[in-house]
Amino acid sequence: MASSTAAQRPARVHRARVTGKDRLAAYGFLSPAILSLSVLSLVPMVFAIYIAFTNFDANHFLSYQWVGLQNFIALFNPNDPLFSVFIPTLEWTFMFAVGATVVNYLVGLFLAVVLNNRHMRESSIYRSLLIIPWAVPALISILAWQGLLNQDYGQINGFLHLFGIPAVNWLGQPFWARISILMVNLWAGFPFMMTVSLGALQAVPAELHEAAAIDGASKPQAFRFITLPEIWKLSLPLLIPSFAFNFNNFNAVYLLTGGGPPRPTNEFVGYTDILASAAYKMTLTFNLYNWAAAISVILFIIVGTLSWFNMRYTHAFEEADT
Amino acid sequence: MSQHVVGVEAQRAASRARVRTRRGIPRHEAVTLWISRVVIWVVIVLTLAPMWFVVEAAFNPTNAYFSLGLFPSHPSFGNFAYLFHQTNFLIWVKNSALVGFTVSLGQVLVTALAAFAFSRLRFWGRKYGLMVLIILQMFPNFLALAAIYTALAELNLLNELWVYMLILMGGSAFNIWLLKRFFDSVPKELDDAAFVDGATVWQRFSRIILPLARPMLIVIFIFTLMGSFSEYILAGTILETPNNYTLGLGMYGLISNQFAKNWGYFAAAALLSAVPLAVTFGLLQKYIASGLMGGVKG
Repeated sequence: MASSTAAQRPARVHRARVTGKDRLAAYGFLSPAILSLSVLSLVPMVFAIYIAFTNFDANHFLSYQWVGLQNFIALFNPNDPLFSVFIPTLEWTFMFAVGATVVNYLVGLFLAVVLNNRHMRESSIYRSLLIIPWAVPALISILAWQGLLNQDYGQINGFLHLFGIPAVNWLGQPFWARISILMVNLWAGFPFMMTVSLGALQAVPAELHEAAAIDGASKPQAFRFITLPEIWKLSLPLLIPSFAFNFNNFNAVYLLTGGGPPRPTNEFVGYTDILASAAYKMTLTFNLYNWAAAISVILFIIVGTLSWFNMRYTHAFEEADT
Repeated sequence: MSQHVVGVEAQRAASRARVRTRRGIPRHEAVTLWISRVVIWVVIVLTLAPMWFVVEAAFNPTNAYFSLGLFPSHPSFGNFAYLFHQTNFLIWVKNSALVGFTVSLGQVLVTALAAFAFSRLRFWGRKYGLMVLIILQMFPNFLALAAIYTALAELNLLNELWVYMLILMGGSAFNIWLLKRFFDSVPKELDDAAFVDGATVWQRFSRIILPLARPMLIVIFIFTLMGSFSEYILAGTILETPNNYTLGLGMYGLISNQFAKNWGYFAAAALLSAVPLAVTFGLLQKYIASGLMGGVKG
């Protein structure tokens, strides 16, 4: 660190002279990204936030009005029909996002530790085989899983039949549908976590282990107190986006179960709908733009706040202000 | 055998402590190694078996789900023939390839420009700008859908492949962050030297930083390519007529609600479209691993 700041010092003298020009160049370099981000993300976002405070739906398509916090109050009011849509969906969204991220990470980390054995000379072959699910576009593999998990024709049930296990209604029962979503997500997601963990394992400085060995640490101790914290430090910046991604992982749910099986108590969301797929359905199927927008605003506040704290904590996304 | 040469007692003591196998691995490590291997083999079988089911279905002309032999009993190319003659499969592939490559190239360019600014230039908003952008992009993007759809309908631009591509080309804050981290790991002395020699900012970017970042550019290219093949929401909204369908859209239409009828065709299409991507991905594997970790180390 100290040496790099020393090396930068002469450069800073040069830069100081051309700050204005440099800044102009910076905006030139940034403009394509900023422009597209504004038109495609920011403007629609502002529009959606505005809609969340109106009664814009199929009945008020041209004549919608500002209704203040009404939509948000409805989401949290136990006597409002929207409450029974929102709260169970919110719970499952959290369960899914946390479950998918944690399970995928643990499995990936476990496989990385197993593969990172210096005696296992063929481990790169195993790694190439295990990475294959990542290399198939998720859209295709999730659709294929829908077929494989089909109760009557699916090969998973056919396979279980060989062992005398009766057919499971994978996508038709609330419990199994949720298990299926987590399973398919694990299948598609562990190679990423494995790759990240392997990279982190190999980045742990060998000197740390040597020093620990000299101090008389056993192998499990070295793993617990040296390897794990190092991996944690390196993989955390990638775990946060992964959690946020799963929170909005529309494809994983919608392409596998379509949000179903349906809840008998309300028509809007099924047992496996996460907030993202619920908002999607409310927009395209039920034309309840205001509800969808309100749900999205809350979704954004949750994910944004969590991510903000995590980023501040890891410092991975900050830029040193030199 | 060596027991006769060396003292028997000493040898026994040594062997009690560290029994070695032929290749010189201590016994307990050899046990760990073999347990590890068995675990990995089981995981590999569990991971690849579902894919094999799909491959089998692709070559199974009877379209029956329950074919549980290791190979289909009467393999044929019937499903592939149907795909080429009775569906628009080739058009979907052409559209997806066009969209994938154009969008990925555009993304790489937009990302590289912005990442360079964040890594090397000084401007207002540099410190927290990227963090704010990443958080803003966590806003559910399909909500942009209503706004984008309305705007495109007003401008009469729906059902245009180039419009779809342009929208997908929008900057990705996460990619910018990945690439910026990589740029940061390139020693500043390199372009500072060029700067002293009178190179312009553009030359520093295009002649020095960009060539060095080639592995990471490849990673972003392949991630975007994969992402564009999995894009469903926008494609479904913007592209209306079948001759504009992308692979994902076409395959979704092929299979939704008619699994029993079209499973074999779907499997054949999945095989044909996944294999080239998987092979590309496999070839670039080492770049992907190092690209994801790159820069964290510093």
